[in-house]
Amino acid sequence: MEAVIQLRELTKTYGERRGIADLSLEVYAGEVLGYLGPNGAGKSTTIRLLLDLIRPTSGTARVFGLDARGDSVPLHRRIGYLAGDFIVPTRQSARECLTFLGNLRGGVPMARVEELADRLELDLDAKIKSLSKGNRQKVGLVQALMHTPELLVLDEPSSGLDPLVQQTFLDLVREARQAGQTVFMSSHIMSEVEAVADRVAIIREGRLVALSTVAELRARTALTVQIDFDFEAPPNAAHFASLAGVTEVKVDGLSLRCQVNGSPDALIKVAAQYTVTRLRATEPDLEELFFSYYSSGEEKVSVA
Amino acid sequence: MLRNVFTKSLWDNRRSLLGWIVAGTLLAIIYGGFYPQMTPQSVDSVPEGLRDAFNFSDMSSAAGYLASAPFGILVPLLVLFYGVATGARAIAGDEENGLLELVLAHPVSRTALLLQRFAALCAGAVAMAALIFLGMLAIRTSAELETVSAGQFAAQSTAVALLAIFFGAVALGIGAAGGRHGLVFAGTATVGVLSYMLNAFAPQMGAEWLQKISPFYYYIGGEPLKNGFQWGHLAVLAIATALVMGASVWRFNNRDLS
Repeated sequence: MEAVIQLRELTKTYGERRGIADLSLEVYAGEVLGYLGPNGAGKSTTIRLLLDLIRPTSGTARVFGLDARGDSVPLHRRIGYLAGDFIVPTRQSARECLTFLGNLRGGVPMARVEELADRLELDLDAKIKSLSKGNRQKVGLVQALMHTPELLVLDEPSSGLDPLVQQTFLDLVREARQAGQTVFMSSHIMSEVEAVADRVAIIREGRLVALSTVAELRARTALTVQIDFDFEAPPNAAHFASLAGVTEVKVDGLSLRCQVNGSPDALIKVAAQYTVTRLRATEPDLEELFFSYYSSGEEKVSVA
Repeated sequence: MLRNVFTKSLWDNRRSLLGWIVAGTLLAIIYGGFYPQMTPQSVDSVPEGLRDAFNFSDMSSAAGYLASAPFGILVPLLVLFYGVATGARAIAGDEENGLLELVLAHPVSRTALLLQRFAALCAGAVAMAALIFLGMLAIRTSAELETVSAGQFAAQSTAVALLAIFFGAVALGIGAAGGRHGLVFAGTATVGVLSYMLNAFAPQMGAEWLQKISPFYYYIGGEPLKNGFQWGHLAVLAIATALVMGASVWRFNNRDLS
């Protein structure tokens, strides 16, 4: 697969302060890569290196095979970027702002701008000054998407958006992927990444700690299962404790909770000997995955 | 107006630019217009040392009068602050409020951004100087300033523009090198005022050579209102500006945005 973004041992330090360290990562054409990490992990540092806003201490960042630093102007034509703290001059209307930014790219069809604004419910004629944080973020999304760039680099794109608009935004990301655009999207909100990403990279204290598909990440992690039983036959914990793939069995009255790795078949068969009134299995969301990475290091997640 | 960084800068700064132009022009024509009321005795109360420092020694000729308060103090200090304010905002100010990042993430090189902002600053300075020039021509007869020719006014106005541009470039440059907005503003303004004092007082301290390192010397030391265009002096200002801009471009291209 063709790598659209190629980071090689990318390192950035700010004096004594860590930015990112030895980060190697590839983002392939046409995929959505979710770039996850807590605040201060180095997500924005990575992105600002990609955009040549800051320069690496060592290592290289290449985009479309070009040097992020030396070829920044031609690269920027092909990239749509939304900064983590998107800021625009406030004494102008959204339309003026977007027209100017479009002109820096040699002009952008106004119809496209209007279509995006419509879908995000952004009033183009409002002065930026009068817009709420969420509405300003919409201006940022429009300017990143309006020229239909080959690569979208979005730093915390949905911050400040209300839930309905967040859905619209996720639709826009899905459409971008369908149209063959590549998306590199940072977030500390797991659900939005989970909803659209093909792969997830997790960064912690400036280092890449995990990189896999969302499906893989999930497969490596236990389901949480809760089974409620009829009052006539309370479950016997001993029946469940020794089953293959079943751990952390806890019985609380008529309720049983456990973690299941791999097939739940053995569990179901034992449970079938009782009268089951309710069964609930929850997949871990990335939040939990992420916290298990973050709190106890890399090895933990693969441990059942 | 929204076509590129140059026109956008002018458009965004239109209000303050208009303010600077009106202030500069009014200052020049109001003070210029006082000439008929001036008598040699008007400055008798000013101590002799100060008279020399502020060019008050020759108040009888129109050129001498204009080289005192109007073009010796008020207009140059005003355009100094135009340059400082505009230059400081162009890079340091916009970087501090995050706006540089927005533009530089677009297909605009750092060199292009810096030079277009500088061009906007120059356009403002030239517009201001042009209006001062036209203003002086307009009051030339009524204010009995006919002994100063249009060419001599043009020479002085050109020096006004170059002085503003030089200090604008310095402010732009300190910003390009990474100075914060407040520091750039205060630093450039201080350098400006000190170099003004240097030009004014160095001869009395018996150190005329010191005068030669002040941009103000090249602004008015050749007495353009009497002698017309001082090409050598104007060239010094232009070359100093070019050097500052060259260093700024280099530095701006080789640093992180904050």
